[in-house]
Amino acid sequence: MDVPTEEEHLLYSQRPEWADVLPLEQYENITPLAPIFYTDEYKDATNYFRGIVKSEEMTPRVLELTEDIIRQNPGHYSAWQYRYKTLMALKCPLDDELKLMDELAVKHLKTYQVWHHRRLLVQQTRNPGPELEFIANSLQNDMKNYHTWSYRQWILAYFNDDELWSHELDFVESMLEADVRNNSAWHHRFFIAFQSGVRNGDQDRDAIVRRELAFVKERIAVAPNNASAWNYLRGILDHAKTPYSELQAFVKPYSLPQPPFGTPPEVVDLEDPLPSKEAQLPCVAAIEFMADIYEEAGSGDLMKATELWRSLANEHDTMRRRYWEYRIKEASKTIKI
Amino acid sequence: MTTSLLVPLHVAYIRALGNSQDELSYHLSAHLRMNAVYWGLTALCIMDHKDALDRDEMVDFVMSCWDEEAGAFGAHTDHDAHLLSTLSAIQILLMQDALDRVDVDRVVKFILSLQQPSGIFAGDAFGETDTRFLYCAVSALSLLGRLHELDVEKIVAYIRHCRNFDGGFGAIAGAESHAAQVFVCVAALAILDRLEEIDQPTLCWWLSERQLPNGGLNGRPEKLEDVCYSFWVLSALSILGKLTWIDASKLEAFILSAQETESGGIADRPGDVPDVFHTLFGIAGLSLLGYPGLMDLDPVYCMPASIVENVGLRKGWKALQRRTS
Repeated sequence: MDVPTEEEHLLYSQRPEWADVLPLEQYENITPLAPIFYTDEYKDATNYFRGIVKSEEMTPRVLELTEDIIRQNPGHYSAWQYRYKTLMALKCPLDDELKLMDELAVKHLKTYQVWHHRRLLVQQTRNPGPELEFIANSLQNDMKNYHTWSYRQWILAYFNDDELWSHELDFVESMLEADVRNNSAWHHRFFIAFQSGVRNGDQDRDAIVRRELAFVKERIAVAPNNASAWNYLRGILDHAKTPYSELQAFVKPYSLPQPPFGTPPEVVDLEDPLPSKEAQLPCVAAIEFMADIYEEAGSGDLMKATELWRSLANEHDTMRRRYWEYRIKEASKTIKI
Repeated sequence: MTTSLLVPLHVAYIRALGNSQDELSYHLSAHLRMNAVYWGLTALCIMDHKDALDRDEMVDFVMSCWDEEAGAFGAHTDHDAHLLSTLSAIQILLMQDALDRVDVDRVVKFILSLQQPSGIFAGDAFGETDTRFLYCAVSALSLLGRLHELDVEKIVAYIRHCRNFDGGFGAIAGAESHAAQVFVCVAALAILDRLEEIDQPTLCWWLSERQLPNGGLNGRPEKLEDVCYSFWVLSALSILGKLTWIDASKLEAFILSAQETESGGIADRPGDVPDVFHTLFGIAGLSLLGYPGLMDLDPVYCMPASIVENVGLRKGWKALQRRTS
């Protein structure tokens, strides 16, 4: 396919090989709110697009035209749709199309159509391996891209291939190494560990729970003020139906201020790693967690929960004062006189 | 530091979108135009300046987007029909008292045709699925008075599958919790009278956690604040009756600081270029927070509350009391 160079770029209306197409102008004789001020190139390309859609043409030059439009406006969903139909009609080699998409994705990561088009293509090629690599590379530019992570999840679940799954924990771990506060990576980890069925070698569910608890505790120890990690911890406990009180020994040090400089270190407990020296303490999420433990215990411990909530409302998390006051009020309803 | 809502400026900004050569944002494209008209009109209604735009011209524009083949509305003339633009079209026509222009039977058929076996909805024939489209379908059918044609259990079951370990909802089953997706799932459940499907204490806490020290709201943990979350988060909390869990004065100050003080409009955060999307959602958030002088907004439908009430669709949401000054 002969693509004109920059210097040679002519409008479709100037190109003799397009003379047989009747371009259709966009209906524009009213002044709409939020109009589009098209460049001449875009106007020209979309006029010709309307023309070939009307005549139902599905030829290689349509691929050139739709690529042109998509490069200028990746949100033009009709162009994507028509391009896909044309690819199918022409029985084009889809690996080439994927390579083209690799290039476009770099610039247009936040556009739904880019990802959806890939999904359609991969469903045809049935070759998911390179996709995981592509996704990993693409995440380097935008580590929390919602579409990218969602697409990765889709690839894994759709093809459900043990070989693909087997590298996933390592992958998530490397993403968390790069940014332990990447909520998307934590979410993906939960999906791998607990929400994607049982794979070969993972049949001991208790072992999985223990592994994940150890993992998240270590991450909390390094950087305790990390909402994603605490949500993950709660998620594991809820999933395994483990009472929060079982984590009391681990959580308690995080809910207190840093011990004064010079305090001799506690006995090192591998099960319950202590906060790193640089950690900002007390950690709001830990105070919250301790309060939940006391609330669950009930009776005398409700007083302790209330004290912690008060400290959050008045000192450590004043932004959510109303929420903490709500917790105090709710708990007081259950206190028996 | 701007401490009040510059209503006349924002009205002028929205009106000028039709004329201005400079305000073209690269994300304002034909595929968003129907949505953009809806955002602009709703913002004007909440600011009580509905007549700033010509009604007949707007209705003509909406009708020019009718896709005769599909029996629904596209984003712009000659664009294929899509659920997003179909909902916006219905909302605009309802606000302009021109809903009688719609071929309801055909639109209903189009909407129902997009439901997938799993219960989720595609946005169009291309097949992209997302809980946003599920909300569009439920909202549109409800506004057209045809909610009873929906397989409610199927939809509710799908939303249940989108519930994550942190209490939030994602774009599809298994996807990360995100405030915008939380809104669409919560609002859809509100319309279907199935709010009990939500783990309310956990979700409302997760939503209140979106507020950052600068007063703005983000969409998921460790991400940046953005004015549009002033709507997604606030509306969900309002529907669940926990709007007080957000520090209102801090959020209000944040939204007001994102205003463009020369030519109007509101941006995603202070200092950035404004657009009509963030203008609407900033104003919508302020309305829910009780900002004086604004009209009430229905958080379920993101439309003027009076209009939703008139068609008998008001649900049990709670906004903050409107202040008098």
